[in-house]
Amino acid sequence: MPRKTPPPPGVDGIPFAHAAEREFARLLTFYGVHWQYEPTTFPLDWDDQGRVIEAFTPDFYLPDQDLYIELTTKEQRLMTAKHRKIRKAQTLHPDLKIRLLTRKDCLALARKFGWRKSTTDNPRT
Amino acid sequence: MSLYDDLEAILLDADAIQAEVRRLGERISKDFADRHPHLIGVLKGSSVFLSDLIRTLTVPVTVDYIWISPYETPTPSGVVRIRKDLDDPIEGRDVIVVEGIIDTGLTLSYLLRNFRTRNPASLKVCAFVNKRAQRIIDLSVDYVGREIPDKFVVGYGLDYRQRYRNLPVLGVLKPSALD
Repeated sequence: MPRKTPPPPGVDGIPFAHAAEREFARLLTFYGVHWQYEPTTFPLDWDDQGRVIEAFTPDFYLPDQDLYIELTTKEQRLMTAKHRKIRKAQTLHPDLKIRLLTRKDCLALARKFGWRKSTTDNPRT
Repeated sequence: MSLYDDLEAILLDADAIQAEVRRLGERISKDFADRHPHLIGVLKGSSVFLSDLIRTLTVPVTVDYIWISPYETPTPSGVVRIRKDLDDPIEGRDVIVVEGIIDTGLTLSYLLRNFRTRNPASLKVCAFVNKRAQRIIDLSVDYVGREIPDKFVVGYGLDYRQRYRNLPVLGVLKPSALD
C-alpha cells in the first residue's frame, strides 16, 4: 500500500507578486512538489554601519531539492540587474543553488502546461 | 498539407531514431542480463518509443503503462490524478520507467516518488530524449537516447496538443505552428 505524504501547500491567500508565480506555485502543487514562497532574503551589500543596502529574495524555495527558483517574465534586455544579483548571491553564498526561469522558460511552461496568455504578459497582479 | 510542413528542422530521421533505440536496447539488455526488467511506459508520449525499445531487448521483459492527468486538465483537488494505474504490483521487481521526453522533470519526479512507495527492487529511468535546459527538478536519468536543445520537438510519439505523434521523425516545430 503506498505511504501517504503530506500534501504541498495551496496557493490561496499568498500575495504572489506576479500571475506567473501563482501559476508556477499551482504547477508545483499539482505535481506534489513542496515549495515555499520568498522564505529567505540574502543580504548582498552593506553600508559602513553594517546595514543591509542590497538584498535578494528568490521567489521560491523547494526544500526537497534544496533549490531556490527565481522566476521572471521580463524581456532579456531588462535582465542585467537580475543576473548581477544572482551572481553576487552565489559568490557570497557558494552553496546556494538558484535556478533562474527566464521569460523564455515561462513561455515554454505556458505552452506545455496550457497557462493563459495573460499569465506571462501581465507585468504585475 | 503534410505534417512535415510544420517542422522547421528534423533532429533525428527514422534511421537515426532506430539506431538510438538499438543502442539503448543493447545497453539495457547488457545491464539486465540475468534479470527480467519490468518496463513501465508513461502514456502517451512513450508509446511509440516503448514499442520499438522492447523489440530490441534480448532479455525477458514485462510491460505495463501508467497515465496521469495532465496539468492543463484541472482536477478538483488541484493535484495529479492517476487516470490509468499499473495493472500489476511492482514490489520486488526491477523497474525501468520509460519516457518519450524528460524536460521539466515534474511528471517523472511525481512518478518516481509514487513508485518508490511501492517498494520495487530497483528503479531506473529510460528516456528517448532529454531536454535539460527546461529542468526544474533535478533527476538522474539512467538511459538517454539523445540530449536535445531547448526547442519544442514533436514526432515519434511526442505531441503538441495531441498532434504529430505519428511523425516517424523527431522534428522541431515551427514557431508559427505554436499558438
